[in-house]
Amino acid sequence: MRRPFEVVLAVSTGLILAFLLLPILALFLRIPPEDLLSQLTSEVAVDALIVSVKTSVIAHAVVLLLGTPTAYLVATRRFRGRSLVLTLIELPLVLPPAVAGIALFAAFGRAGLLGDTLDAAGVSIPFTQTAVVFAIIFVSSPFYIRLGIAAFEGLDPALIDASRTLGAGPRRTFFRVALPLAAGGLSAASALAFARGLGEFGATIMFAGSLQGVTQTLPLAIYAQLAIDFDIALALGAFLVVVSVAVLLTVKLLPSWTRFTLISLAPSGRSD
Amino acid sequence: MRWALALVFVLLFAAGCGTGGGDSNEHATVFAAASLTEVFPEIDADATYNFAGSDDLATQITEGAPADVFAAASPKYPDQLYEDGLVDKPEVFATNKLVLIVPNDNPANILSVDDLHKRDVKLVIGAEGVPIGDYTRTVLESMGASDVLDQVVSEEDDVKGVVGKVSLGEADAGFVYVTDVKPVEDKVTAIELPEEAQAVVQYEIAVVKDAPHHDAAHEFVEQVLGEDGQAKLQAAGFGPP
Repeated sequence: MRRPFEVVLAVSTGLILAFLLLPILALFLRIPPEDLLSQLTSEVAVDALIVSVKTSVIAHAVVLLLGTPTAYLVATRRFRGRSLVLTLIELPLVLPPAVAGIALFAAFGRAGLLGDTLDAAGVSIPFTQTAVVFAIIFVSSPFYIRLGIAAFEGLDPALIDASRTLGAGPRRTFFRVALPLAAGGLSAASALAFARGLGEFGATIMFAGSLQGVTQTLPLAIYAQLAIDFDIALALGAFLVVVSVAVLLTVKLLPSWTRFTLISLAPSGRSD
Repeated sequence: MRWALALVFVLLFAAGCGTGGGDSNEHATVFAAASLTEVFPEIDADATYNFAGSDDLATQITEGAPADVFAAASPKYPDQLYEDGLVDKPEVFATNKLVLIVPNDNPANILSVDDLHKRDVKLVIGAEGVPIGDYTRTVLESMGASDVLDQVVSEEDDVKGVVGKVSLGEADAGFVYVTDVKPVEDKVTAIELPEEAQAVVQYEIAVVKDAPHHDAAHEFVEQVLGEDGQAKLQAAGFGPP
């Protein structure tokens, strides 16, 4: 009676794998690889690449700088309203991107909640690279913070307690114990959030618009080129697949890598 | 256990039926330019519509989307699909004009195309390759005002994208069809363009060769070209073919 069950398992897996991989493979098979590469050097593609890299890196720096302390606080402190904070952090994860787009307008647009304040300060956000950065932070930071909380929560509390009883202050405990121990999980969270931000589409096209060389990121360029030059759209798509695979591999390889470096770095950590 | 796989196939099959494969009512699936969003359902409320930029629709039809009718805001894409043997011979069914729209409170105080040269004006137009985007560039060129393209903050994928960003009050001005103004009258003000600078905006309609609902497709086209259809198009501000 075991065999038919095994067959069902294998067939299900085969079907879903074929369904998931076929479109991605087709992306690479539709035009020859050398054409894919030459399309990537077209002006539209290069401009989109520069815009995407610049906005993603800036957004990601903000996400890491603000997200890491946030994740640490939520993971290690018990306070009233904690589950509410958790829910608020998770909300953008399940929110449709189009909702994020109009929500950003409603908050930071000229006619928005902070519109007059920003206007008085001489700042205008929609249709600028700042708007792209805002959109990316809005969709990618919850990813990083949620996974970061899990990374900090996974630490052995005894190690944190030991650090405190041995006389290290909360700041030193964070930098010397919690952060290095959670580095593997945080790096994985960081890579996934970065990939998510790089692929941001819906909120960006609404809130930042689409202008080549200014706000047209890689996903927006794919959309804009769809009818004009399908080959460029394909090439950009293939490129993003390669980046995504690289991110996934990084995530898979990171935990073992960090454990290794942590051990080798341990002595230098003591000499401070 | 095998029932689980059977169920998957049943579900996939059910999804296929729902999207028009087997609907007995024989209503046409119409792929139409975004600027026809308001008027087409008035002409035929029963058809299924897919409104988007004409260029995107052409790509979808080329990629095998199950369209019965293609109605575009420019002869460019229907003619191209006709040459490729994907649609029957297209016919012109309406014409249109371009206008400049500004939000009602007109934050940048724009009264003419000349005012678009002012510093920090946020202009939104259609992208190149999208009919409204190409017409906008033609009009600006014949007015000798192509340099206002430097003021563009966003290039939208269809005309409704331009309308949306201006009526939201986030952009200062945008070029759209005169027929796009009526649905957002309470939010935007239209500024007419000089007659001699107008582009020739022709709308073409064609039945798709492999139309799943062939008869319904022909009926739809006849309705649009017929007296009632033409009256409704003109009531919406379109010009006669």
